Amino acid sequence: MEAIWLYQFRLIVIGDSTVGKSCLIRRFTEGRFAQVSDPTVGVDFFSRLVEIEPGKRIKLQIWDTAGQERFRSITRAYYRNSVGGLLLFDITNRRSFQNVHEWLEEARSHVQPHSIVFLLVGHKCDLEAQRQVSRQEAEKLAVAYGMRYVETSARDAINVERAFTELTRDIFELVKRGDITIQEGWEGVKSGFVPNVVHSSEEVTKSDRRCLC
Amino acid sequence: MSDKESHTDPGAEGVQEQPSPSPTESPTESPTESPTESPTESPTERPTERPTERPTERPTDAPGEMSSDVAPTRKTRRRPEHKAAAPSDVPNPPEEADTKTEQQKASSDTAVMEGGWGYWGSWGKSLLSTATATVATVGQGISQVIEKAETTLGIPSPEELSAQAPEEDSTEAGGTAEAEDEGDTAMGGALGMLSSLTSVMQSTGKTVITGGLDALEFIGKKTMDVIAEGDPGFKKTKGLMIRTSTLSQVLREAKEREEQQTGEEFSSDVEKKAHYGMLFDEFQGLAHLEALESLSRESEIKVRSVLTTMSGDELAQLKDDLAEIKEPFSLVEFDDDDDDTKEDDDGVDFAKELTHAMSRLCLSTTADKLSQARTNVHDRIADIKSSTATPAQEEDGTEEKARTQYTTEDVHSSAIRSLAELTAKSIEQFHKVAQVVLHSTSGSAEVSTMDQAKALAQITVLLCKEISFLSKSFTSCLTTVGSNEKGEILNPLITGVFLEASNSASYIQDALQLLMPVLELAHIQKTADSAQ
Repeated sequence: MEAIWLYQFRLIVIGDSTVGKSCLIRRFTEGRFAQVSDPTVGVDFFSRLVEIEPGKRIKLQIWDTAGQERFRSITRAYYRNSVGGLLLFDITNRRSFQNVHEWLEEARSHVQPHSIVFLLVGHKCDLEAQRQVSRQEAEKLAVAYGMRYVETSARDAINVERAFTELTRDIFELVKRGDITIQEGWEGVKSGFVPNVVHSSEEVTKSDRRCLC
Repeated sequence: MSDKESHTDPGAEGVQEQPSPSPTESPTESPTESPTESPTESPTERPTERPTERPTERPTDAPGEMSSDVAPTRKTRRRPEHKAAAPSDVPNPPEEADTKTEQQKASSDTAVMEGGWGYWGSWGKSLLSTATATVATVGQGISQVIEKAETTLGIPSPEELSAQAPEEDSTEAGGTAEAEDEGDTAMGGALGMLSSLTSVMQSTGKTVITGGLDALEFIGKKTMDVIAEGDPGFKKTKGLMIRTSTLSQVLREAKEREEQQTGEEFSSDVEKKAHYGMLFDEFQGLAHLEALESLSRESEIKVRSVLTTMSGDELAQLKDDLAEIKEPFSLVEFDDDDDDTKEDDDGVDFAKELTHAMSRLCLSTTADKLSQARTNVHDRIADIKSSTATPAQEEDGTEEKARTQYTTEDVHSSAIRSLAELTAKSIEQFHKVAQVVLHSTSGSAEVSTMDQAKALAQITVLLCKEISFLSKSFTSCLTTVGSNEKGEILNPLITGVFLEASNSASYIQDALQLLMPVLELAHIQKTADSAQ
């Protein structure tokens, strides 16, 4: 049954052009690797359910953004309504790694008054021979910004599930603790439809408090 | 369907939508292209006025009144001769006498529709008649409602109609006369009266698609009202047409209601497949629509602010330009009537025409996903057709049915899914176009914004025709597959497909309207760039 989930999280996927954002998402949502793909125009949308605990499903609404500079003004508009994000760079492309904090800066300046839980993703880890960014330095950068770091490959389906589920779990914990709340007029987190049996979730009632401020 | 909302006096509401003559017709709305039309009956008047009568653009209206606002204006503008009779229907739920008038209305609208847009004529007939004639039967189940309508009117059932559809297509030029011969005696008088109007419209040589689509939308709303009254569960669909201010909101609500509902039916697998709103969301139609709406809003604000900073000749020039851009958005028309005959199964024409229209946009975006979605749909239809073809050839009838893999439910689900998919992909296409139009760095100088507007209107026509074609294909499949089903099982399924097809066409047109401010802004940007 597709329709039952506890929450819907909106995630944004950002990073330089050609680092493999769309391929990663399509591997995750469609389970296959698209050999060739056109550059993303503006923004694309995908969704998938993730079961983080038995019987607890989260619907992920994934916003795939264009890396190209010319669409930046469109994609900027989407930070605000995202609760989480995957920040991708290509481990075979040093430049894309160097741009990581530019991306973070941009995200931070457009996400106000909310915040985004980011996961740093070193993509194309199947291309070990062409690696230009070591795992250590990527991990160091991630720690400095308070992010997790995962290396993935859409082609070989390495860590793709893990990247998305870990981010989802982190956000779910924050939601459970009340650090992130559902708010009117914010699309980042929405409550889903809980079958009657599981109707006791206290997080749902919490959500009203913050709306008043 | 436990979420019964209380619905106060649906009968009265349904009836109110009938009458009240159109208050105003601005003389400026009359386009000049067809001198043969009499001033009051001119079909081309409607499209130009169309954008302003959309419910979605009039959030200030009291929600409940929206549809009743829209419907009468349309009706009366088409059929001024009914003005006198109409108001008598207002106050009470129709009795026997009123039903007569209803019949006339129903049939006359049908006639107009056939003239207005032959494609929709054949099935619109049954839907509209059903809708208008059954206002009296509030509170009955949907199947009963439909049954009742059909028996009281003596018109063909939806299944007969869809079976006839192919023939009617070819003879549509003959129009109302044909329809009469089919034994619609109840409609005879009204049709006779209206055939002159129809021929006026045909004689213009160009048929206005928007007219037909308006009628279509109207039928959709009408039918939903009636269905909703008979079946509270259908209110979710009815909610689409009233109350809210933007299209995406409307669709989002529908989806959420369906999810809620599905959640309640968690254990039973019944019905879970054929929820248009949920499927539309699954194909990311909702997300694209919301994004398109927001681009459209932003563009509109920017255009307006640019206009306030301008004056004199510059302003006049820009206003002229913008008017020229707007034009294709309000007047979407067929090139010729022979479109009817061109329709074929293999979809070559569609793909070719779509690619052609896309190339006229001169944008670095393709329609691959849209074409793919359309291919998927046609594959599904072909699948169903081939699975039903075999038993039909062997002469031993019903026993052979075990070999058919598809049930009527399957076909219905497949139809709803297909419509949702194609509509979602159409809206995605429009969203892509909007993004590229606003952010194409170079090369856009090769084509004028006016031409882009025309190309987009052409794409819209193409898509709506395709939706129409699909709904007919699917219902004819339904008729074949369900040849042994009872009418009360089959008819609601058929009606449902037509209903969602009509909704799909409306969504696509509404999405087209959202592109207008985007193109306007693009034009302003372009003009500014070239001035520098």
